[in-house]
Amino acid sequence: MTQWRRAHEALLLSAPPALLALIVLVPVGTLAAELALAEGALALMGGVLGSAGTWALLGASTALAAAVTGVSGAIGVPLGILLGRTDVRWRGWLLVLHALPVFVPPFLVALGWFHVLGVNGYAGSPATARLFFSPIGLVAILAVTFAPIVTTLTALALQNVDASLEDAARVVARPLRVMGRILLPAVSPAIALGLLVVFALAFSELAVPMFLRVRTYPASVFARLGGIDYEPGEAVAMTLPLLAVTFALLAVERRFVGDRTFAVLGLRGRERATFPLGRWRAGITLMCIAVTALSLIPVLALFMRALPDGLAALPQWIRSSLWNSLITAMAAATTIIVLGLAAAWTIARGHQAGRALDATLMLGFLTPAGVLGVGLITAWNHQMTRFIYGGLAILVLGLIARYAVVGVRVMATAIAQSPRSLEEAAAVFGGGRIAQLRRIVAPLHVRGITAAWLLTLVFCLRDLDTVVLFYPPGREPLTVRIFTLEANGPSDVVAALAVTQIVVTTALLGVLAAAATVDRTRTS
Amino acid sequence: MRSKVRRLVVITATLLLGVAGCGETADEVVAYTSVDQVFSEPVFRAFEEESGRRVRSVFDTEETKSTGVLNRIIAEAGAPQADVFWSGDPARAFVLIGLGLVEPYFSPNAERIPSQFRAGNGTWTGFAARARVLLVNTSLVGEADRPQSIRDLADPRWRGRTAIANPLFGTTTMHAAALFAAWGEDDAKAFFNALEANDVRIASSNGEVKRLVASGEVAFGLTDTDDAYGAIQEGAPVGIVYPDRDGLGTLVMPTVVVLLAGAPHPETARRLIDHLLLASTEEKLLELGAHIPLGATSASSSVLPGAEQLRPMAVDYTLVAREMGRIQPWLREWVGVR
Repeated sequence: MTQWRRAHEALLLSAPPALLALIVLVPVGTLAAELALAEGALALMGGVLGSAGTWALLGASTALAAAVTGVSGAIGVPLGILLGRTDVRWRGWLLVLHALPVFVPPFLVALGWFHVLGVNGYAGSPATARLFFSPIGLVAILAVTFAPIVTTLTALALQNVDASLEDAARVVARPLRVMGRILLPAVSPAIALGLLVVFALAFSELAVPMFLRVRTYPASVFARLGGIDYEPGEAVAMTLPLLAVTFALLAVERRFVGDRTFAVLGLRGRERATFPLGRWRAGITLMCIAVTALSLIPVLALFMRALPDGLAALPQWIRSSLWNSLITAMAAATTIIVLGLAAAWTIARGHQAGRALDATLMLGFLTPAGVLGVGLITAWNHQMTRFIYGGLAILVLGLIARYAVVGVRVMATAIAQSPRSLEEAAAVFGGGRIAQLRRIVAPLHVRGITAAWLLTLVFCLRDLDTVVLFYPPGREPLTVRIFTLEANGPSDVVAALAVTQIVVTTALLGVLAAAATVDRTRTS
Repeated sequence: MRSKVRRLVVITATLLLGVAGCGETADEVVAYTSVDQVFSEPVFRAFEEESGRRVRSVFDTEETKSTGVLNRIIAEAGAPQADVFWSGDPARAFVLIGLGLVEPYFSPNAERIPSQFRAGNGTWTGFAARARVLLVNTSLVGEADRPQSIRDLADPRWRGRTAIANPLFGTTTMHAAALFAAWGEDDAKAFFNALEANDVRIASSNGEVKRLVASGEVAFGLTDTDDAYGAIQEGAPVGIVYPDRDGLGTLVMPTVVVLLAGAPHPETARRLIDHLLLASTEEKLLELGAHIPLGATSASSSVLPGAEQLRPMAVDYTLVAREMGRIQPWLREWVGVR
């Protein structure tokens, strides 16, 4: 291979991941530069960082996010074990239904619970309403919404633990001991990843605390952006502690999770022997059904509220928001997959550049949505970039910056499951890296790439927090439309819009499940 | 495989082109508004039907009502995106005028609006007003016990049973500024401190105040007429009190429209402003959200019960706008945001 060809290949392979990294770094970097160059930056920073109120609110928000993480772990880990590796009845269906809230904006889950627990709700009273509109209500709602992340990762990881380890342990130990001593430690990186994602999502959540009237730091930053004496420099300075939390989360992720999840989160899991529950089976199945019901109750409440008038009025109110959501989410997800495939390959093979890229993309995900939103406005709101900022392209950029890591990580996990030897064999016969990527890696992992695309698409579709700050005029995604109509719009119409969001997302997940089933049948 | 890759690239390019194609067109106008979406959107739609031009709008979230889009206009001043700002109150529009972000426009339809509600230099025009009222839960408060003044919010008799919206946002900011302008610094601060001592609930918005009163979580609260009207239409057990009829008077706030400097679509923007100032628009807003028409219309002046009792407070909107900026640091201290 000539040197020229090697350089050409290196350029072609590194350009897409570099572009992806740039999309993440531009808003964060511009924000940092803005802060550094702001008039009286030091005074502004001193004012924010020197205020006891800043730290008290930040502490309270961190405590709330930690509580959400704790409760999510308490629900998700046991349920993940039960649904992942025991003989609980209908466990596949229960896992899918339990996971439903993760794929819709948490705000809609809160809205559904409001129709149940609000004073005039289906099971409401002044007491339930008081509890609902309180920090306890916030923790409960976010925990029920995010727990499926821990459940799913735990269950998936348990199905992918090295079979030889488990079989050996089963020979000498009881099932409970095998679970506690072998399986759980083996899947701990996946559980840690789940807990970290829950913490990041809970910490940066805007809409639910605002809806429940619970003060949190990110919501205060967002509200501060709406204050009458708005000072961009001060708003940016207020994001400093959030950036500190972001980097702390990133450090935790690098230390405890990193690329260790690839070994236990493969997409090629096969059926393993389940742990029999014996006489406890019926009772534990009932318990799992009860927990799953917590996921379904708010969705059912929204359906009931939407019927019949809300759904009838839907065409009048939905306008182009569903189209805006779909086209931006599809464009973002497709771009992430196209630009991210080479990145995923590099990450999966443990290259140093891959690790740096993975950390960069994780930074975009962990950065609170409000901070990312301010960064995107600062970076793209200029005359020269008007064609981007004034249209849907800004939404696509925002979604890529936030969710690139989802698609890239899922692809990397899939690629990491296949042996490196295939690529090495191709290299022996003169196949360059581009040929390896195109002829071996991509075809071999079509299923993983499709799953990555759909999962990224669903994450983009459910986004509200990132895009609410900068959505282009008249081109709001459905989630934003629901949010801006919620306070004064007809509640049955708002519920109908929420139902639309849920139905569209569920349909996409259905496609994912169907594709997986067809693929599995074909493979077997 | 090669064809698959090509197909994927074509799909990506098509999607991105589709997204890029969803940019601006000449036959449109960009309107930012802090008037509730449920009221403003039907008005924009009527304009679209009448003119054949599209209105691209940005609405405020309830939490940042009246200031989220205002700040977006300020932040975008270097490369203006919006043509028209339709503000839920006059003071926010005055902030933009103060920053030189407004272009004067004398709409022919502004002639029907009384002169105290429009600028002599064409920078702003008011119409379709709202008033600040006390919304009372009639199941919890008897006819004889109804509050008559906003000072009743600080009455220990109602301790912990009243609500106002966060004064950093929405019309409550303007109301606070109007009180500072009318009562003076010391009296106004004493009033707000008395509210705090009386455990007044600070709701995230006027819509939340309505919910709290309608659901009986509080006995009464200070809110806007459109929210009060919404509660009545929903059949909630509520009544409306126009406060301070015998004293200060009730604060009346016209919604205000301004043409923004550097508007990308100035001609269509002027047409939209003309449409907003039509008598039929005021009638529509009266019907939709009990906004009080300021110009002559064929409809009655209000659909709210007891509206004839309203005695407007004397307000110098320019002074109120100045006060609004000046008292922000104090209000932030009061609310607990540094």
